[in-house]
Amino acid sequence: MSTTSPAPTSEEFVLFELVNTHYAVRSAFVRRLEMLESVTPVPNATESLEGVVLSRGRIIPAVNLRVRFGFPKIPYDIRTRLIVVEADNRTVGLIVDAAREFTSLPPAEIQQAPQAIANLNGDYLEGIATISGRMILVLRLDEILKIADDLPAGNPVSTIES
Amino acid sequence: MADLNQPPDDFVNQFLDDYFAECEEHLAVVRAGLLNLERFVDSSIADTAQLDELFRSFHTIKGISGMVGLSPAEQLAHEMEGYLRVLRQGEALLSKEGFDSLIEGTKVLEEVINAHKTHAPAPAIERTIEILREVVAGKDTSVTPAKGQPEQTQKTEDKKQWRFLFAPSQARSEAGINVNTVRARLQSIGDILSTTPLVHDGDVLFELIVSTSASESELDALKDLELTSEPIEPEEKVEPITPTSGTSQTISTSVRVDLVRLDQLMLLVGELVVTRARLEKNLKSIRTSVTPVQWRQLQEVHVAFGKQLRDLRNDVMRVRMVPIAEVFDRMRFVVRDISRETRKQVILELSGQETEIDKFLVERLMDPLLHLVRNSISHGIESEEQRIAAGKPAEGHIYLRATTAGELVVIEVGDDGRGIDVKSVAAQAPEVALWDDEGRIDFDRLLETISAPGLSTRDHADRASGRGVGMDVVARAISDLDGSLSVFTEAGKGTTFRIELPLTLAITDALIATADAQTFAIHRSSVQEVIEIEPGSIKVLENNEIILHRDEVLPLVRLSRVFNLKDKKEGSLHAFVIGTGNRATGLVVDKVLGLREVVVRSLSDPLTDVPGVGGATELGDGRPILILDVMEILNASRHVYASQQSH
Amino acid sequence: MSAENKRRILIVDDSRTMRRMVATSLSNIGECRFEEAANGLEAIERLVLGPADLMILDLNMPELHGIEVLKFVRARPMYQSMPVIVLTTKGEESVQREAMAAGASLYLTKPFSAIELEAKVRGLLAEAGDKA
Repeated sequence: MSTTSPAPTSEEFVLFELVNTHYAVRSAFVRRLEMLESVTPVPNATESLEGVVLSRGRIIPAVNLRVRFGFPKIPYDIRTRLIVVEADNRTVGLIVDAAREFTSLPPAEIQQAPQAIANLNGDYLEGIATISGRMILVLRLDEILKIADDLPAGNPVSTIES
Repeated sequence: MADLNQPPDDFVNQFLDDYFAECEEHLAVVRAGLLNLERFVDSSIADTAQLDELFRSFHTIKGISGMVGLSPAEQLAHEMEGYLRVLRQGEALLSKEGFDSLIEGTKVLEEVINAHKTHAPAPAIERTIEILREVVAGKDTSVTPAKGQPEQTQKTEDKKQWRFLFAPSQARSEAGINVNTVRARLQSIGDILSTTPLVHDGDVLFELIVSTSASESELDALKDLELTSEPIEPEEKVEPITPTSGTSQTISTSVRVDLVRLDQLMLLVGELVVTRARLEKNLKSIRTSVTPVQWRQLQEVHVAFGKQLRDLRNDVMRVRMVPIAEVFDRMRFVVRDISRETRKQVILELSGQETEIDKFLVERLMDPLLHLVRNSISHGIESEEQRIAAGKPAEGHIYLRATTAGELVVIEVGDDGRGIDVKSVAAQAPEVALWDDEGRIDFDRLLETISAPGLSTRDHADRASGRGVGMDVVARAISDLDGSLSVFTEAGKGTTFRIELPLTLAITDALIATADAQTFAIHRSSVQEVIEIEPGSIKVLENNEIILHRDEVLPLVRLSRVFNLKDKKEGSLHAFVIGTGNRATGLVVDKVLGLREVVVRSLSDPLTDVPGVGGATELGDGRPILILDVMEILNASRHVYASQQSH
Repeated sequence: MSAENKRRILIVDDSRTMRRMVATSLSNIGECRFEEAANGLEAIERLVLGPADLMILDLNMPELHGIEVLKFVRARPMYQSMPVIVLTTKGEESVQREAMAAGASLYLTKPFSAIELEAKVRGLLAEAGDKA
């Protein structure tokens, strides 16, 4: 006998930055944010797999989202973060340029992305929201974690100005 | 205020690990000691032995804190030591304010040291120092305490006193018989009342007076120590110079071993295992050259050797096991702290403290248990009035129980409080069905809900629902240890959390090797032999690299080629011989570093499902190391080499 | 002098961190090997088993107070002139006097700097060398 749930009024998201663009993933999937320590490369793996890291006693894959989205890699700095996400019984780390904020978004705020951007981002993009004048790309985590091909290099998504 | 006496950081940094470890040891003694001292508050007796021990602990902490330049810790320890000096010299009684200030002081001292360790801002110590000074200044000198020897009286009747004499010598020292080991052995059969160095006929001897209820035959077991002994007649009985109370031990019968040494011990045992395997192989090859009788004898010895080695290996592994009391004792202090904070009377009941767990688990269990205990007291146990109104005893009870069940260790944390408010949890998570069709609580769903993610990304304590802070942290920590967590709760009666952990982790012997500056591990069981290859000895036969090994051709596969890494150009190489006979192949690496016992962690994510990788581990420095699947590598190599040949 | 021509320095302190810090502070002094004792009884035993060129002795130790160790050791003919540095803590002037009276060559108050310790040890070893 389950009760039907009322539509949630607002969902929590974790915001992160990649190539000067803001992205959001649902907090429900985010385990924790960590600083990036040693990454051990895995030979012959897909290019966006930076390697494996030790996180809370478990060794998990670390995906470099820059590479995944077709951007050039940059060296890590103190802002670089590992977002540890869990979905589908998988625990994966996502390497991003910076991540610090959380925000609430009512579902109505997530608009469909304009055709041009949607085409470029393939299935990763759920939609776009605007918060305080900033454009936030809301991501679909399950697509990101799929063992699909990384986006081709030279992806011009980064040139979107807010 | 320029501190010219601050030691340079680069000098001090090499000692910080030792410093923190030693402080933690002394703080553990302090915690236990203070809890023992509590019953002497406002009493006219003082437990001088306990006060002595506390004094010395703070004194040592003061000394080493000063040496590493952690001045706040030094100052704080100095004030604590000062108050304890006053107490132990009998200049004052232990008042309630005094006791509280000791507890508070210890807490702040701990925080200061931890802050230094984690590079966090340190708490202010001025107020605490002020309080301690006030206590010392305001000491009530009107009544001087009588020296107490608690729990001594009833036991001395069945004990006899003995005088042992130990003469140290070079020969004895080489045999491992020295004053420390002698004392440890004597301590295990009784209490050492005094140890005094003497000179007799120009030689130095140690006289040890021991009080023991051991029989003559038990004392006989000590004869390998080569001591002379004689019983002391009742008239001559010696008054204990340093009476031992409750938990304080003048000598511990245990040795502090750090895990690095233990790992090395395991390594040596592992090497013994490899050598034994080689011995077995060599034996087989000479079978036809010896008579059947000789062969049988050789086999007997070899089998005995194998068994003893197995026993040695098991025993060394058991050395890693420590009683869970190490973890539980910490909780006593925590319970006291939180119950005062929350103004609730709480009694902690422990059972199964002697249950042993792997040392590896001890640190990892501290935090989760702390969270559970804290939650139980904060949210589970009701206030005194509420409890009395509900017909419960005024004091709340917290239970910590540990047992082993087969290959598992089971730890339970329970309380007799109000239970989890399931309705409130349901209100917070309306989409989850917490009750089944018959209205019974689905405890698994309940646990999942209160440990739901999203709480860890914010500090959001939801008291009303009874989720408390950190349930997700607890759940995560337990799953990291390959364990399971379950809950049982009954409204008005209480809540119990049950943790099940595997006693042994998936541990295997692995050979560690490098290739192109990356480190890898291989299951020892996959490897027949480890060989060294001189650069000139590699020949090329039909486009494959080979060497001559034991008069046979051994084809080589370079790990660097299979993994697209750089080949080692100069110097000798190492190789693992995989397989036997004409299936044997040499897997070439840059260098074999050694054999280690490692905990295998599965790499189950599809992203890491790469041929040649069969798991991962880490050697203790936080950096993961891949464990190779040699069969996959050899298979993969055929493709790699085939493609390389097509030019 | 010890058999291997290295000077034997005995470090006596119940704190492992202290022993390590002392040994490391003196590691630049050549021709020395270090031995450690965690309590006064062990220290006496080690001295019984062989001569030492210098002893660094903490005073506040369990089992046997450093001053007792010092008195016992000085009473042995072989050790009447062995250099001994005692380690005391601040605010223990009376203990310092007692230690000097019992035969300590020098005292150092904790916390002390590595450089200070090294200088004092070098000084004492040089002095002892002159007398040999």
